[in-house]
Amino acid sequence: MSATSETVQAASGRPSRPAETRIPLRLAAALRRRYLAATVSVLGGLALWELISRFVVANSLFLAAPSEIAVAVVHLARSGQLWRDIGVSAAEFALGYVIACVLGIALGLAMAASITAKQSLQPWVSGLYATPIIALAPLFILWFGIGVWSKVVVVISLVIFPVAINTEAGLRTTSERLIEMLRSFGATPRQIFLKVSLPSAVPFILAGLKLGIGRGLIGVVVAELFGSRAGLGNLISQSADAFNMPDLFAGVVVLAFAGIVMTAGFGWLEGRLVPWTRD
Amino acid sequence: MDARLTMSKLAISRLNKSFGDLEALRGIDLAVERGEFISVVGPSGCGKTTFLRIVAGLEHATSGDVTLDGRIVREPGGDRGFVFQNDSLLPWRTVLANAMIGCELAGSVGAAERRRTTELLKLVGLEGFEHYYPRQLSGGMRQRVNLARALAIDPEILLMDEPFAALDAQTREIMQAELLRIWERGHKTVLFVTHQIDEAVFLSDRVVVFARRPGRLQAEIKIPLPRPRNLAIKRTSEFVGLVDRIWRMIEDDVRAAALYENA
Repeated sequence: MSATSETVQAASGRPSRPAETRIPLRLAAALRRRYLAATVSVLGGLALWELISRFVVANSLFLAAPSEIAVAVVHLARSGQLWRDIGVSAAEFALGYVIACVLGIALGLAMAASITAKQSLQPWVSGLYATPIIALAPLFILWFGIGVWSKVVVVISLVIFPVAINTEAGLRTTSERLIEMLRSFGATPRQIFLKVSLPSAVPFILAGLKLGIGRGLIGVVVAELFGSRAGLGNLISQSADAFNMPDLFAGVVVLAFAGIVMTAGFGWLEGRLVPWTRD
Repeated sequence: MDARLTMSKLAISRLNKSFGDLEALRGIDLAVERGEFISVVGPSGCGKTTFLRIVAGLEHATSGDVTLDGRIVREPGGDRGFVFQNDSLLPWRTVLANAMIGCELAGSVGAAERRRTTELLKLVGLEGFEHYYPRQLSGGMRQRVNLARALAIDPEILLMDEPFAALDAQTREIMQAELLRIWERGHKTVLFVTHQIDEAVFLSDRVVVFARRPGRLQAEIKIPLPRPRNLAIKRTSEFVGLVDRIWRMIEDDVRAAALYENA
């Protein structure tokens, strides 16, 4: 290999591995830089909340303090009720989410593959995506009963459309240059789809799935609020009926935590599956 | 068919191409011999890229034939390796996986192909970078992968479409020298399109000059410079004289093209 200036330049541009001993220090410094403001902001907000609920509102019928919420979470967890509710809501979410992802991707593929399919499905998909389908939750409960399946259907109806739209958009925006490159090697349409269109659509599909997490969580909880026997939405509505603010907030906090963890997990997954879209 | 055409590696006869009312190419006749390095130069709009794309099968001629090893070719195929102006690398594949895409499409991705492609990457100066992703490489290195990818299918002919046009001047010079070094190893037949006259003269056995509107073959100039060549040859009076001669042929056309493009 001839040592040309551009290879040398690129070689020296490779990220150099820092010495082992420096890693903890550098990590701590990076964490400080990155999370200092966020940590101060969250802790400050919690402190403010605690102060307001103790000295300003000071009425446990209207507002629960963070400390009371923490106690309520521990109490609910010990009694086993929290785990039952989480289990029911998680099952409803998981079932609906997985079904919606499979159907949504299939729908997106169909719309990308055939002009007729796209033209006939597009008005429905766009229209239903823009509709607040959540308003139909009472209807779904009437149709599918008070149990798990009405919630699954609500989740499906909320998650399927962003997934379908993103899948279709991802497949449609495949780079013409890359398709042409494959054609120059005599690729068949099937090979072009599998080796270029599909991989280049993956970041879009993942973005659709990520959007679906938040929408799916909303679907589960709201559907449970409208009518259920168990689940976090049930916990929230029962607590509201009993003016038990600490338990109500406990349900909300658990949901927020689930949303944050799943979205963060997705960010990590994106970094693993589609590293080429970073920076 | 006359004897000259049947003997050639690549023969183009009476090739015409129109896009609607626009006549892009008119009556192109060209014979490329086995192992020959031929460049096509011309002002922008002379149809040189269209010409190369027709040879590659990416575009269909309105009339006329492209014959490779005595067979008429119309569609893309593994007998021709295309090197693109933009690298067109798949961002989700490593250097090695990108270089092997042609083999993969042809259904042969065994250990032998892997070994051969690794050897080719070494030849183009990318040893040690097999598992890098395109975004981690410089423009020059990406073009090396582009070249290795075309060579990996062991094509009968290399078709190169201004492969160094997007590189900075220094990298371009280095890549020209590198291309000749690689070419000296196997003397593959090359059809190279460029708008840079000095690049064409430096690389080629023969330079084909296109005129514009419609694109047609204006002249064929033999480059009698000795091989192997290195970059120092660009400073010889013989080299400068050849570049000057070709420049004078297309100067008026280039000025007209520049005017047209700015209008």
